[in-house]
Amino acid sequence: MATMTNRKWYTGMLSQEDWWAVWMGLFFFGLGLLTCFNIDVIGWVTYPTKWVFSPPEGGKGAISSAFYALGKKYAYDPDAKAFYKGLGWWSIIWTYVALTVVTTVGAACMKWDVKKFVQGWTVLFFLTIAVWFVGHHAFFAATIINKHKYGLDFSLSLGGGASFILALIVGLIIGNFFKGFAGFLSEAAKPEWYIKTAIVFLGVKVGYLPIKAAATSMKLGKQVAGLTGDLFFAGAVATIVAYMVFWPGVYVISRKIFKLPRKTAAVLGSGISICGVSAAVATGGAVRAKPVVSIMVSALVVIWAVIELIILPGVFTHIWPGTSDPLVAGSAMGMAVKTDGADAAAGELLDEFLRTKIATETNGAVQWPEGIITTSAVMTKIWIDMFIGLWAFVLAMVWVYKIDRRPGETVPASEVWHRFPKFVLGYFAAWWIYLAIFFGPGHAGAAEGMTLLKMAKAGAVPVEKGLRKLFFMLTFMSLGVITDFKKLKEAQFGKMVWVYFVALFLFIIPVAVIIAYLFHHGMEIPNMAG
Amino acid sequence: MSEEFKSGSGSLTSDSLEADDVLAGAEPWDPVETKLVLWSLAIAAVVLVIGLFVVPSSVLH
Repeated sequence: MATMTNRKWYTGMLSQEDWWAVWMGLFFFGLGLLTCFNIDVIGWVTYPTKWVFSPPEGGKGAISSAFYALGKKYAYDPDAKAFYKGLGWWSIIWTYVALTVVTTVGAACMKWDVKKFVQGWTVLFFLTIAVWFVGHHAFFAATIINKHKYGLDFSLSLGGGASFILALIVGLIIGNFFKGFAGFLSEAAKPEWYIKTAIVFLGVKVGYLPIKAAATSMKLGKQVAGLTGDLFFAGAVATIVAYMVFWPGVYVISRKIFKLPRKTAAVLGSGISICGVSAAVATGGAVRAKPVVSIMVSALVVIWAVIELIILPGVFTHIWPGTSDPLVAGSAMGMAVKTDGADAAAGELLDEFLRTKIATETNGAVQWPEGIITTSAVMTKIWIDMFIGLWAFVLAMVWVYKIDRRPGETVPASEVWHRFPKFVLGYFAAWWIYLAIFFGPGHAGAAEGMTLLKMAKAGAVPVEKGLRKLFFMLTFMSLGVITDFKKLKEAQFGKMVWVYFVALFLFIIPVAVIIAYLFHHGMEIPNMAG
Repeated sequence: MSEEFKSGSGSLTSDSLEADDVLAGAEPWDPVETKLVLWSLAIAAVVLVIGLFVVPSSVLH
């Protein structure tokens, strides 16, 4: 173990998980960037789609198409697209081979037991894929919008969130009832490594968003483009205000009411306030909290996100603000619901509920275009995603120079560097490089840059969508595998559940609605019925 | 300090789930925490005021 005195700036670059999250994340990010030169070597990334055992005639959901290579849908080059189209379920094997090579190199450099890692990783990977598959059965994942396409009269409308919950449940069953099997998986069950890598992929997502927005605006037309621009601006300001109120509020609740230690309160503050899992892990690293704190908060975030997903769209539609202020509802949803998947799913539900309600109330005289309310939910969420690295840096500074510093002790500036969560560097690099492509050769979405942006999209989507979600799945599965209920009970996990409940429902959601109202009240959605 | 270094950089395993002390043993409230909280709220207030004036969709417009 290196000490503060003999550490160099490069200490741990080949031996720490933090750094290996950066290397692994940037490796696949780099493969994705090659599409800008029309070299597509990333489209093999596998991705599930909703399925049913007996799809209706002319409907969707054949099991044979339940997994596909993302290049089938997003590759720019026609030859690459044709190749990836042929992969189907084989894309799982391609993904397994590529990830096994890279993770095994990392495991070897970190001096883990490579043989045990590969064995555990192989089982963990295919188990995760199996759960991902089950979680995408239309009964779990289809929404009221599209359930009929799968021949269903009822679905749980959990979207991609169902898979995360299932992964956690399966992992918990293994970890608590099959301890021998959990021991076999233990060398590969590394939730921190997987989530840190997923955060680097999140940087790709944030950087890619302007590219995606350019395409979306074109689809929705000039009138709607103006509205999405307003939402983008209003969402940015509302998010900054909300976060700077959320974090101290949750911190005070945790410290003063629930009497929690500082580091635990800081991680909870970030987990409940920002984008859940990623923010909890980044903050945990910045303040040097014990890893279990970030993991406990992460588990809470996933569970509460699903509860919010089920409750909030109905509350915002039928109680307040309803159709009188639909974009206030969407924006508040984005600030309140943690995790991107749950937020997008909740936004989609709200979009459907409110459009149906306004059409019913006006006998069809008012019809809102699909997607605007969802966009208002997503616009606040993306700004919150951007806060993760910045806030981790601020907290690292505060903890190094103010809170952990002992009287008379001189803390070298290098301590900030050693304490800074390194995977955040990968997150920023991925984000800014895609942003540079957008504003540089991409001409900010103008016609002359669209070809390059479409090529960039072909490489970004498999990473930000496919690999990011797969690594989230691996995180939750691993998290369950290493979690022992007995130890959590000893750790008073139930107390943390109550902190989350009080902070979320009595503080975060009301404040989110107020701030959303201040910045979105009166914004009108164009009436497509004329 | 080396123990702190260890606590934040290693991989989480089932062995490290000895979490009996992460919710207990709250330190007394420190003035620096008051500063952290107040600075966050102050930034929120400043951005709120500026935002209400510059965002076209705010309630002030």
